[in-house]
Amino acid sequence: MTILVFELRRYMGSLMGWIASIVALLVMFMAFYPVLAQDAAMLDLFLEHYPEELLKAFGMGGELSLATVAGFFAFSFAFTQLVVGAQSAYYGFHFMSVEEREMTADFLYAKPVSRPQILLAKYGAAGSALLITNVGVWLGSFLAIDLFRGDATYELWPVVSLLLTVPVFQLFFFSLGFVVTAVSKKTVSVIGAAVGVSFVLYMLNALRRIVGGELLGLVSPYYHFDPNYILLTGAWHPLHTAISVSFIIVANFTAVRLYLRRDLRSAT
Amino acid sequence: MNLVLRELYANKKSLLIWGASMAAFVAMMFVEFAAYYKNPEMLAVIDAMPRELLAAFGMLDANLTTVSGYLSMSMVFINVALSVYAAMLGHNLVAKEERDKTAGFLMTLPITRASVLTGKLIAGLLCSAILLGIVAGSMLGMLLPYEAEANFLAFFTLLLITTFIIMVLFLSIGMFLGAALRRHKLSAGLGMGLVFALYIASIVSGLTARLEFLRYVSPFEYFEAAQLLRDLRMEPIFLLLSLVVVVGSVSGAYFYYSRRDLYV
Repeated sequence: MTILVFELRRYMGSLMGWIASIVALLVMFMAFYPVLAQDAAMLDLFLEHYPEELLKAFGMGGELSLATVAGFFAFSFAFTQLVVGAQSAYYGFHFMSVEEREMTADFLYAKPVSRPQILLAKYGAAGSALLITNVGVWLGSFLAIDLFRGDATYELWPVVSLLLTVPVFQLFFFSLGFVVTAVSKKTVSVIGAAVGVSFVLYMLNALRRIVGGELLGLVSPYYHFDPNYILLTGAWHPLHTAISVSFIIVANFTAVRLYLRRDLRSAT
Repeated sequence: MNLVLRELYANKKSLLIWGASMAAFVAMMFVEFAAYYKNPEMLAVIDAMPRELLAAFGMLDANLTTVSGYLSMSMVFINVALSVYAAMLGHNLVAKEERDKTAGFLMTLPITRASVLTGKLIAGLLCSAILLGIVAGSMLGMLLPYEAEANFLAFFTLLLITTFIIMVLFLSIGMFLGAALRRHKLSAGLGMGLVFALYIASIVSGLTARLEFLRYVSPFEYFEAAQLLRDLRMEPIFLLLSLVVVVGSVSGAYFYYSRRDLYV
C-alpha cells in the first residue's frame, strides 16, 4: 500500500501534463472543424458524381466524411491515440526499470516486501495513472466536440464505443513496454523508446490507409482500434480486438515471469 | 577515432533492431504494391478521371501503378520513422553519458569536450547513413521483380539524399538538446515532442491553404516526394533552410557542451 501511494504520487506531476496535452490536442484539432467542414462539404458534393468503385480504387469512400462531426472527430482522435500510445508505452518502459536505472533497486528490494507485492503495487499505480488519463480523454473528447460542432449533430453511442477502446489500447502499449524491459538487460532511453514504438506503429497504419490491404495493419493497434471503423459501425472489429487482447495476455505473462526471477542490477 | 568506434559499437544493437523493423516495414509496403503494379483497372480509372479531380487529391503525378509513383506516395511515412530514430540517436549519443553515469569517466580522458562531440557526431552520421542504407537496400531488393521507369534511378537517388538531409536535421536537433540542457529526461521529452509537433504541423498544413506557411516549419514538408518526382530537383529555399537549422543546432551543441556543468 505504501509503495502504491508513493508511486502514484510520483506519477501525478507528469500525469497532469499528459492529460493537459491530450485535451489541448483534441480541442485544437476540433477547432478546425467549423472552417474545414465547409471545404469538406464542397468536396463531398463533388465526389457524389463519381461511382463508389472508382473512389474505392483511390482509397476513398467507405469512410466517414470530414464534413460530419463523427468523421472529423475520427480524424482528430487518431492523433490523440498517438499521444496516449506514447504515454502508455512510456509508463510500461519506465515503471519497473526505473529502480535499476536510478540505482534505487537495492533500497527497494531490501525492504521486507516480496517481489510479487512490489510488482503488484507498481502495476496498480501505473494502471491507476492510465485510468485517470482516461477520464481526461473522455472529458476532452466531449468538450472538444460540443465546443465546435455548432448545429451539426452526431450519434452518441459510436463515440462512447470508441472511448471504451482506450483502456485496451493503453494496455497494449503498456504491456509492450513492460515486456521489452523485462527481456532486455541493458537500460534504454525510456521516452525515446516509447515514442519510437508508438510512432512506428502509427506510421505502419498511416501507410496502410494510403496503400490499402490488411497486412500492414494487423500488427498495429492503431488499426485494431481504428477510430473511423468504430465511429462508422459503432462496434469493435472482433478479429483485431482478439489480436490485441492475446498480445496483452502473452506479453504480461512473459514479463511477470521474467521479472520475478530477474537478476537486478545494483549500485555496487 | 576510438570514440567513433566505441559509439558505433554501443549503438550496434539498436541499429540492428531499427534496421530489421524498417526492413520489415518496407517489405510489407511492397507486398501491397503487387496488387497495384500495372493494374489495368487502376490505369483505366485514372484515365477516366478528370485532371482537376486528380489534382485536388495531389494525385496528378503520383500514380500507384508505377514504381516511382508508389514510392513517392509512401516515402513520407518512412521519413517520419527515420526521423524518430535520428532525433533519438542524436540525443542519446550525448545524454547517455550523464544518464548512465559514465560522463565522469569520459571526461577524465585526455580529449577536449569539443572532440568528444565531434566523435559522437561522426558516429551519429554513420549510424544514420547505415540505417538509410538498409532501408534503401531493402527497397531495391523488393523492387527487383518490377520494371522501373526511365527516370527511376535519378528519382530514387534524390529521394535518398533528401531523406538523409531530414535525418541529419533531426540528428543535429537531438544532439543540441542533449548537449544544451542539463536534465536529460526533459531534453529527451522535448526532442520527441518536437518530432510529434512537426509531424502534426505537416498534416495540418495539407488541410487548408490558409496554413500554407507551416510548410516552412515542418521538415517533413520540405522535400515532398511528389514534387521531387515531377521536377527531379529539390527546392533551393528548403535546402537552405535545412542547412541553417543543422549549422545552428550543431554550433549550439558545441557552444553549450563546452561550457556546461556536466552531471556526474
